[in-house]
Amino acid sequence: MTLLAQYALTGVVTGCFLILATIGFSLTRQVEGFLNIAHAEMLGVSAFITWGLNAVAGWPIVPSGIVAIVATAFIGLAIGRIVYDPIRKLGPAVVLISSVGVAYVIAGLMHAVIGTGIRTLDIPLATTYKAFGLRITNYQMIVVALAALTGVSLALFLNRTKTGLAIRAMSTNPELAASRGIDVRQTSRATWLLSSGLAGLAGVMLALIATLSTDIAFHQILQILAVAILAGLGSLYSVIVAGLIVGIAMDVSVFWIPAGYRPLIAFAVVIIALLVRPEGLSMMKRS
Amino acid sequence: MNTIAQIALTVLMFGSLFSVLTLSLNLQYARGGMINFGTVAYFAAGAYAYAIVTQEPPHGLDQYLVGLNAPWWAGFIAAGFAAMAFAFLTGWPTLRLRGEYLALTTFAFAEMLNSLLVNERGIGNGTVGLANVERPDAAILGLSENLVYAGAAFLLMLATAYAFGRLLASPYGRAVDAIRDDEVAAEAIGKDVARLRFQVFVISSIPIGFAGALYAMITTLVNPDLFSAEVTFFVWIALVLGGERTILGAVVGTMALVGFQEVIRAIPFESVRAAEIAAAAEDIVTGALFIVILRWQPFAALARRRHSA
Repeated sequence: MTLLAQYALTGVVTGCFLILATIGFSLTRQVEGFLNIAHAEMLGVSAFITWGLNAVAGWPIVPSGIVAIVATAFIGLAIGRIVYDPIRKLGPAVVLISSVGVAYVIAGLMHAVIGTGIRTLDIPLATTYKAFGLRITNYQMIVVALAALTGVSLALFLNRTKTGLAIRAMSTNPELAASRGIDVRQTSRATWLLSSGLAGLAGVMLALIATLSTDIAFHQILQILAVAILAGLGSLYSVIVAGLIVGIAMDVSVFWIPAGYRPLIAFAVVIIALLVRPEGLSMMKRS
Repeated sequence: MNTIAQIALTVLMFGSLFSVLTLSLNLQYARGGMINFGTVAYFAAGAYAYAIVTQEPPHGLDQYLVGLNAPWWAGFIAAGFAAMAFAFLTGWPTLRLRGEYLALTTFAFAEMLNSLLVNERGIGNGTVGLANVERPDAAILGLSENLVYAGAAFLLMLATAYAFGRLLASPYGRAVDAIRDDEVAAEAIGKDVARLRFQVFVISSIPIGFAGALYAMITTLVNPDLFSAEVTFFVWIALVLGGERTILGAVVGTMALVGFQEVIRAIPFESVRAAEIAAAAEDIVTGALFIVILRWQPFAALARRRHSA
């Protein structure tokens, strides 16, 4: 029973990471209207900037992470402006396929610059805390805390600030938003900064809790997609629920079935959800 | 000279083989309007079905459970059936989804199959895969093996192109086009949209299964690594490269992409690091090509010009 609870707790941590990783992805989907396959590569970019500054240049972890997040946000903005903006009118499928190209380019660049092999940050080993027979490391707690903080501040941002409201208006109805005097270009840029910055944050978390290799991003996109489909790409709050469901389902499943199937569980959840409630997705057909 | 001929033969062999995939994808996407991001799964189903049907029963360290030791043609037919069966299985729940949702679920199914092949050692030895896959003896024809298999791949491509060409030129093909152009209108004049989409999905997966069997014969090895999502992306890039909607475009695009990769692979490298950078450069150039072609769509523009002239 304790073991099961331990898996569930690890699942919560996984879920929190997935929430951080997926929120930016869902935001792009809502405002820009397409699935950005290259989103996971941005996690990798951020993780390796952190690694470069921390392990190679010898910076402390906190400034490395902050620089990585800011850099990733601007790289994301640049990619959005250069690659995606000109082709948005060609439809979501074309942009989706283009983003696969972007993912290739980023992955190739990372391979060329960093090379293969496993990397770790230059940080102290994780300290494990025990309570009620359950173990959790301090880095895992940071992930959970940051996910909670991000969720709350994002909700505040989207509900209270002018830019946040503009982003929500854009995601609900772009034409109406434009005709009501919202600066579409400005909002789109803010979204790119925000979603890439969130990818950057998730990337730093990834660097904290996992060992890094250049193909790490690809494994993340599968889980991000799973969470995003389950959340229905509709609301950001459903991402939080979906992230936790997928995270816990993946880690708890290890209790009964071989750990090799862990990534598969994410999709099993999604496919079951689609079979049981297909209307939940088809309602949000692109208009 | 010899190396050039060798490269040309390899390009012909794998180019033709992957052209079969591109052609099927072309039918699903450009004609049927379905984004299938799990193409590799049908390919893998075919390759594994071929290997399992033709291999000897397990002995010694083998972990797989079934080996029928059947002749190669039985395996080839089984490959087509396996791909078709998998298309039935995946098409039935997913085809009511549209656009990108379909892309995601087919992608998910492909990942699930890959995961099954890795974890269920009873299917095909897990990550080790099945080596020494049996294949027909090419020596009967008195030609070199590569030449025979390049020819076989080319024939399979021609057969697929011909079959799809005939299919699309028929009234059935016009119904398919009608659905892609305007689903509501097609339904209004009595076309069963869901059924037609499902049929196109299943029909177009059969040649992919055959291609999988041929791939297993050529490489004499099947393992989960050979059937990763990269194959799917590769075929998509080829389709985009050649310009969708034409059979010739799909073939030319695939050949160009395979040729590009083979030329990079043929360059000798002094160090591991140089080879690593070359592999990375291959990715970067492939991705950049993808972005550029989608951005300016030179082939589509060309096709339009030819059409209006």
